Amino acid sequence: MDTGMILYLLSLATMTGLYAILTLGLNLQWGFAGMFNAGIAGFFAIGAYATSILTTPPAEDRFGGFDLPIPLGLAAGVLLSAVLGYAIARICLRLKSDYLAIATIGIAEILRLILRNEAWMTGGNRGIAGIPRPFEDMEQPWGELCFLLLVAGIVVVLYVAIERAWHSPWGRVMRAIRENEEAAEAAGKDVVAFRAHVFSLGAAVMGLAGGLMAHYLKFIGPDATEPILTTFLAWVMLIAGGSGNNRGAVLGAGVIWVIWSGTELLTQRLPPDWQTRSSYIRVFLIGLLLQIVLQRFSHGLLPERPPRPPESDSG
Amino acid sequence: MFRSFGKLFFILAAAAVFAMPAARADDQVKIGLLFDVTGPVANFVPPMLDAAKLVVDQVNAQGGILGGKQLATVVADTQGAPQTAVDAANKLVNAEHVPIVVGPLLSGTVLASAQSVIIPAGVVQISPSATTPAVTTLKDHDWVFRVVPSDAYQGPVLAKLLIDKGLKRVALTYANNDYAVGIAGTFRAAYKKLGGVLSADLQHDEKKTTFRTELATLAKNKPEALVLIAFAGASGVTIVKEALEGGFFTQFVGTDSLRDKVLIEQVGEQNLKGIFFTSPSSPPGTPSMDAFEKAYSAAFQTTKDKLFIQQVYDATFLAALAIQKAGSLDRKKIRAALRQVSGPGGEIVGPGDWKKAVDLIAAGRKIDYQGASGDCNFDKSGDVAGVIGHFVIENGSFKQVGIVTP
Repeated sequence: MDTGMILYLLSLATMTGLYAILTLGLNLQWGFAGMFNAGIAGFFAIGAYATSILTTPPAEDRFGGFDLPIPLGLAAGVLLSAVLGYAIARICLRLKSDYLAIATIGIAEILRLILRNEAWMTGGNRGIAGIPRPFEDMEQPWGELCFLLLVAGIVVVLYVAIERAWHSPWGRVMRAIRENEEAAEAAGKDVVAFRAHVFSLGAAVMGLAGGLMAHYLKFIGPDATEPILTTFLAWVMLIAGGSGNNRGAVLGAGVIWVIWSGTELLTQRLPPDWQTRSSYIRVFLIGLLLQIVLQRFSHGLLPERPPRPPESDSG
Repeated sequence: MFRSFGKLFFILAAAAVFAMPAARADDQVKIGLLFDVTGPVANFVPPMLDAAKLVVDQVNAQGGILGGKQLATVVADTQGAPQTAVDAANKLVNAEHVPIVVGPLLSGTVLASAQSVIIPAGVVQISPSATTPAVTTLKDHDWVFRVVPSDAYQGPVLAKLLIDKGLKRVALTYANNDYAVGIAGTFRAAYKKLGGVLSADLQHDEKKTTFRTELATLAKNKPEALVLIAFAGASGVTIVKEALEGGFFTQFVGTDSLRDKVLIEQVGEQNLKGIFFTSPSSPPGTPSMDAFEKAYSAAFQTTKDKLFIQQVYDATFLAALAIQKAGSLDRKKIRAALRQVSGPGGEIVGPGDWKKAVDLIAAGRKIDYQGASGDCNFDKSGDVAGVIGHFVIENGSFKQVGIVTP
């Protein structure tokens, strides 16, 4: 394998990692707590724009460009998403599932439109270019490899943390709320507070995904936050992988992104006369493969496996 | 049974995807077309792909490239979004190993793919249609080019025209959109450099319904004219009307956004004496343009209502010329070669003159490609100077009275 193919595989793995983070965030909200968030794009955008504005060099045509270190930018994005998630949760969480979904779509769209139109802050339609990427000064492919390792490290840390939460009493309460809200409430659990926590936590993880994506792309514009490549894709990844299963969330991100990207390598091999049509054939192929995955594995590639209660001899 | 079928399917598909790039044809030279085939500009793309195909057909009909090899293109779809643009660029540059990339079309997909993949890999990229000024200032080590002028290009031209007309003290107002802010920024800098004075410099909200307060501020200190960068249909006409009613200004200067029939209809030609405009224009009937027009129409019926096909043709033709001049697929050599085939200076080559160009290159002569969209001479940041016309109003319509160069 030559360096070029290695570089492509690195990019494939990096994008998988970035989407895995986004999907893990959604798994917290939907897989754990059964909260239908249809506004992933909004949290993703907040994280992406916050770090972009803070870490780029000073710009003339918009606010910001503070040239701050990347970790600080990412932290700010995460914090902002978390706070926003918490606020939205407090406002909307009394709504039942489908009403919550509608409210989150609305809020995400409002956010997206603000980011698109407040050009003094976000560069408007022009977006923000020149976002620094960690390790970009290193030779190819080492810089790309280091960035992948960073993303992979974050995925592992998140995975372990969320797994532990899943097995903790907190995780059990979340599942109880998901399965039967009234019962959980009757057992003395503060349902609204728990749901606000988990929603905010999920939003923070989504903000992190957005921030890392902005650094990876080195550019962020309103097109990067279109729901199809954020909200829609994260949902497909989670459902294909298996909601409620963190390993499934990561696997789903991998399978779906490989389908999304890899199909083009197939359609590029069509005869020249088909060239103008090849991209449309690819879109069709993506749809078809998603159908196959979702039909074949209706509970996800790795379905949820609730932890067994510890074997006890008290009975 | 179904389960194993599913598994087999995935393994086969994955194997096919990763095994296929190995089968590269050695008798072919492939130019990468990184286009926004699906997504927000999908409608415009098919005629552009035709324009690229026209180059391929002409080159192959006239003896091929690099000593008889076949020219081909390979399309990657950015889907119009940065994430997928980076992914598509990765496939072209790293999996397909194209020596040069034409595209993408949108400013956002250009910025993401260039910064994230194409500049680090060291591949020449020529965008046919990205107009954002951010492309000019990219730290691109001379890898990124475009054959369409930047939005910002009109600013210096406007400044030059004002000075030439003896207007050395003017008031500037511009709308709060990307277009107007961009032009205002470069106009301001160029005008001051040329010795002009801005007596007032004010951004206005194009959604307001009245601008009397702004006009009062702008008219202070008696400037000689009002430079108005705004869309006629949004704030442009209102500002001109109120300026005339209130007696704030009589001399106006505008850009292409104000060069709109609505202005004449609503204000009246008799009230707009002396007004003039700058606006992107095309070189009037050059031989290159005619040659392209004829060749494209012969192959694909008509050039009417097809956007940026000239630019796509020029970008693809220049890419082929640069490869031929470099004599190999070496990406660094191609970067140097591109500036040697695009001019200025050298034997003039136009659309379709492939055989002539190959012979000139073989003879070691310098070439100056004159494209269908303009002269395609790159400046040091890889931009082209656009053709900007000087327009006035005559007999109820706009008339071009000259071409302005900064």
